[in-house]
Amino acid sequence: MKKYIYLIGFISVSLYMISCSDEVKRKPGSIYMPDMAYSRAYESYADHSNLDEKGIYYNNRPVKGTIARGEELPFSLTKDAPGDTVNYYASRQVKCPIDSFSASDLAEAERLYLVNCGICHGNKLDGNGPIYKGGEGPYPAKPATLVGDVKYESMPEGQMFYSVTYGKNLMGSYASQLSRKQRWAVIKYIKSKQVKTIATAVAVK
Amino acid sequence: MIFNKNDINKLAKLNKIIVKANNHQLFLKKFDKFDYLSPLSHIFATRKGIFPHLKQLTVNMAFVKNFARLIQILSIAMLVNLFSNQLLAQDGKALFSQNCAACHAVNKKLTGPALAGVEERWPDKAKLHAWIHNSAAFLKTGDAYANKLYNEYNKTAMNLFPQLTDKEIDAIVGYVNTAAKAASAAPAAGASEAKVQEADNSLLFGLLTLVLAVIALVLLQVNSNLKKLADEKEGIKSPEAFPFWRNKSYLAFAAVILFLAGGYMTTRGAIGLGRSKDYQPVQPIFYSHKVHAGVNQINCQYCHIGVYQGKQATIPSVNICMNCHLAINEYKGEKIYNEEGTEVNGTAEIKKLYKYAGFEEGKPWDASKATPIEWVRIHNLPDHVYFNHSQHVKVGQVACQTCHGEIQKMGEVKQFTDLSMGWCINCHRETKVQFKDNGFYSIYEKYHADLKNGKLDSTKGVTVEMIGGTECQKCHY
Repeated sequence: MKKYIYLIGFISVSLYMISCSDEVKRKPGSIYMPDMAYSRAYESYADHSNLDEKGIYYNNRPVKGTIARGEELPFSLTKDAPGDTVNYYASRQVKCPIDSFSASDLAEAERLYLVNCGICHGNKLDGNGPIYKGGEGPYPAKPATLVGDVKYESMPEGQMFYSVTYGKNLMGSYASQLSRKQRWAVIKYIKSKQVKTIATAVAVK
Repeated sequence: MIFNKNDINKLAKLNKIIVKANNHQLFLKKFDKFDYLSPLSHIFATRKGIFPHLKQLTVNMAFVKNFARLIQILSIAMLVNLFSNQLLAQDGKALFSQNCAACHAVNKKLTGPALAGVEERWPDKAKLHAWIHNSAAFLKTGDAYANKLYNEYNKTAMNLFPQLTDKEIDAIVGYVNTAAKAASAAPAAGASEAKVQEADNSLLFGLLTLVLAVIALVLLQVNSNLKKLADEKEGIKSPEAFPFWRNKSYLAFAAVILFLAGGYMTTRGAIGLGRSKDYQPVQPIFYSHKVHAGVNQINCQYCHIGVYQGKQATIPSVNICMNCHLAINEYKGEKIYNEEGTEVNGTAEIKKLYKYAGFEEGKPWDASKATPIEWVRIHNLPDHVYFNHSQHVKVGQVACQTCHGEIQKMGEVKQFTDLSMGWCINCHRETKVQFKDNGFYSIYEKYHADLKNGKLDSTKGVTVEMIGGTECQKCHY
């Protein structure tokens, strides 16, 4: 009798092992009630392209001429056409509309800088972030050296804002990632760092 | 300065002694601070008896002076040599990275043309210098090649570099030439590496078990047959054999096993319904979080902007991909493999992105031509559950990895947790709320007071459950 217990044990264990060989789960699996798990209402990232056919006019963009609460007024200059630099130079005259940033604003600006800018321009603003890595990284162009290069230390805030908003050369537009207020705050943060290096350089001399 | 033979002999002698003295600890110590340009320090050292070997030498003042001068000249000559040749060649790289690398690469078109072969394209060096010093002025001279270049690169004006001297420009060109040569030699050296396939052992183990089981069965049969034979020989009558499937105890045993196994499987399957732990769909583009968030250290929030601001972590739009991929058009990192183990061509995946973005390499990108990439949704909560990312990530300061697993190590993302209610509630029961310096929780005055006066154990803190984190209507409403 014992032998059969062993036999059953062996077979069940081996069957279990074979059935457990892990496969990549490419399908989500079954659910109890599909209308509960998968929304019947339109959710984010649903395909909105066929709404017009149903008589729903919705273009998931803010109405033209409106500004979100707490948001800054739009940038007065438009993007230059390729090969044109009129507005890029005109942006030098634009001043930051926010009078003062609190310490917590600047702390948040530093966080935003590290998240959005640091990967290229470096956490130390030295133009050597992890994706450039002194030419070792995947990014082929050298990002701007924000601290220590006269060109960027003397660049007016407005021109920096233009570049962050519309992009410049290989740098893309960050308008979708940072609100206008956040963009100004990040520029303030960069400027505050530049002032510090100039101050220490003077002190060393 | 002219030395006579005598002097040179003396110098050689002194040199030998200095080599001996080199081993002397004190000399070594002094050596760092030793000023070659001042003969005084030499004499000073001798007089103080720091060079015991030198003491025996009668020091001729004039000779010491000559020696010092020689060293002076030598060092100046060395310095000049350094600045005129070696440093400039070395500096070519630094100058290139400082002035040119933002728009030019050696072997790749960026904002401006690839610089490899620049000398062939600009046979007249004076023209090249003029172009670099002031490209705008040079364009006005009507040079055909310069104008062609200007139009080819969408009339992007090259920055002016009046501060670069002709020598510095030559140093940059020198660096470009060496870098171009090195790059053309490199691909031959790169040997292909075969990935050691991790063999799937489970089938082997299964087979082995089966073989062992058969052997055991055979042995048992042999054993029982032998026993029967032995019994017959001794005249013991064996009980009448009947097949085991009619044995009642076997049948009862099998029934219990079946019941338990069936029950277990059914319950497990029923609980698993609607949960898709480990779900790992094939995405339209093989986007590796391992490469982006792991190797290249891109912060999660760089792409998932919404995670601090609202309910959705947000899937990045094509323009965020293009922030980097406008310039990065090939994959050169470690080989990447999909979950099935086949190699993925990273460069081809980037080209897929370009298709979605409506971007043609070498032309300026018109973002309005982009079409959305239809990523397959992995994490899905039923409609009757409310979940907000900003509440957890910004207010609660929960790391992404807590719920999404080690995403920075995933080539293909898979659902790390089952996203079941039990999992949510467990975390809410155990997780300590970030009470300190968190304006969001300032209204819980009683808890703050209790924490201060010790009524609440500050090491345990306030859990999410204590502030209502397990109330039904927190998530279901």
